[in-house]
Amino acid sequence: MKNLVFLFLLFSMSMYAQKAEDLISKINSKFETIKDYSADAYIKADIPMLKILPNAAVIYFKKKDKFKIESKGITVLPKQGFTELNHFLTKKNDYIAVLGDSLVIRDRKTVLVNIIPNNSGGEMVLAKIWIDVKDFIIMRSQITTKSNGTILIDYSYGDQIKYGLPSEVKFEIDVKKFKIPKSVSGDINSKKKEDPKKKNKTKGTITISLSNYKINTGLKDSIFTEKK
Amino acid sequence: MLLKNTYNELLKIVSKPRSYLGFGALTLLIGIILFAMKADGKNIVSMVTASFEQTLVFNGDIVNGNLVAFIILQMLIVHIPLLIALVTGDLISGEAAMGTIRMLASKPITRSQIVLSKFFAGAIYTFLITIWMGFLALIVSQFIFGTGDLIVLNSDGLVIIPEDDVMWRFLLGFCVAFLSLLTVATLSICLSAFAENSIGPIVSTMSIIIVFTIIGTLEVSAFDAIKPYLFTTHMVAWRSYFSDQIPYAQIYFSIFVLVAHIAVLLSITLFKFNKKDITS
Repeated sequence: MKNLVFLFLLFSMSMYAQKAEDLISKINSKFETIKDYSADAYIKADIPMLKILPNAAVIYFKKKDKFKIESKGITVLPKQGFTELNHFLTKKNDYIAVLGDSLVIRDRKTVLVNIIPNNSGGEMVLAKIWIDVKDFIIMRSQITTKSNGTILIDYSYGDQIKYGLPSEVKFEIDVKKFKIPKSVSGDINSKKKEDPKKKNKTKGTITISLSNYKINTGLKDSIFTEKK
Repeated sequence: MLLKNTYNELLKIVSKPRSYLGFGALTLLIGIILFAMKADGKNIVSMVTASFEQTLVFNGDIVNGNLVAFIILQMLIVHIPLLIALVTGDLISGEAAMGTIRMLASKPITRSQIVLSKFFAGAIYTFLITIWMGFLALIVSQFIFGTGDLIVLNSDGLVIIPEDDVMWRFLLGFCVAFLSLLTVATLSICLSAFAENSIGPIVSTMSIIIVFTIIGTLEVSAFDAIKPYLFTTHMVAWRSYFSDQIPYAQIYFSIFVLVAHIAVLLSITLFKFNKKDITS
């Protein structure tokens, strides 16, 4: 009897793993249809201790992992999470996928898939992705990294849902406390009273609205080489 | 008579080699900073952005002419008073040391007009130094590095000011910087009225600036009451134009304190010079 229960549990777990892998395969198959893309981006950042106005930019991506952002002024993006996750999901041998709970995110039924990297030497410790079971798109992801804390990413979709490309990506990132002596900054007269609500705020958000996607137009590699 | 004597004072300034030391030193210092920024600007700036770059990536031309101009202004505003005092500290005492002040006082010009003409000549020299610094810091930097958004480091974080919003801040910033340098010039002219040689007023001016700056930088509550009235506290008021929300009330108070210092120091100089026994 005990052996029977054990076999049943083993079978159930393998079924769950199989289902998680199927979901990721479907996401990957969408991603595989994209060779490159460019899109107009509008970036809004609300990060403690960093004041920056919203900025327009153009984003370029080319497989496997070429990524570039072009803007007139200075823009900020999260260090992790923009293209790395999709790229990581294509490397099937590098992780184990385990199915989790289901959750409704913005009226869409999703299931949680936990991604556990096989290699402990990498930056990513754990990734949780919530996948829409109808359209097979990532609705939310939470990436826990070794040095950059946890990044929560919410995705909204528009015209390019068939490619799995979002129309808006909202990052919530951990920000480390930043304080430098006045004598170093030269700001010796500042007497700004700290807003008690913001005093201990260590989470920042970056919202990127994406539009005017141009997919598979054959972007040249030279676009991604930095100007010297 | 006042205008004519101001012109004469300007000719005296122009004829002294030490007057060109300021321009030469500024050119050399800014040249060194420009070279350093060109050679290793990204690494220098990354020291500032390092704590953010653990989680964020900054895109765009961070090292641009506007940032370099800001860095130059911040670095040199501490040192330029010495270059100013070298010339203005000599305006009255230099004449006393050379023995020409008696001849000057015997001319058909009031003593007050002598002091005012020296003050105006010193103000014009200070203005030219500020313009030269602005030209090298802003125009030459923008020519070498191009323009772009400006990253400003404050003690409570970073402020990124869009390129289109930068030039007017620099213009007003330079105006306030000129006012603070004029305060230093007036202080050295004032001390010059009390001295019979040039070294005393120049060294005294720098000593006062150093002591006041140290008091202003120390986070000791005992000094809190006097800090707002030290002119050195307001010498960095130009920086306020580069805040996210410009503290206009604070800037106006700084301008008031600097102008009040200039008025008081000039009055003391006028009083002292009018009462002075000219025996040299």
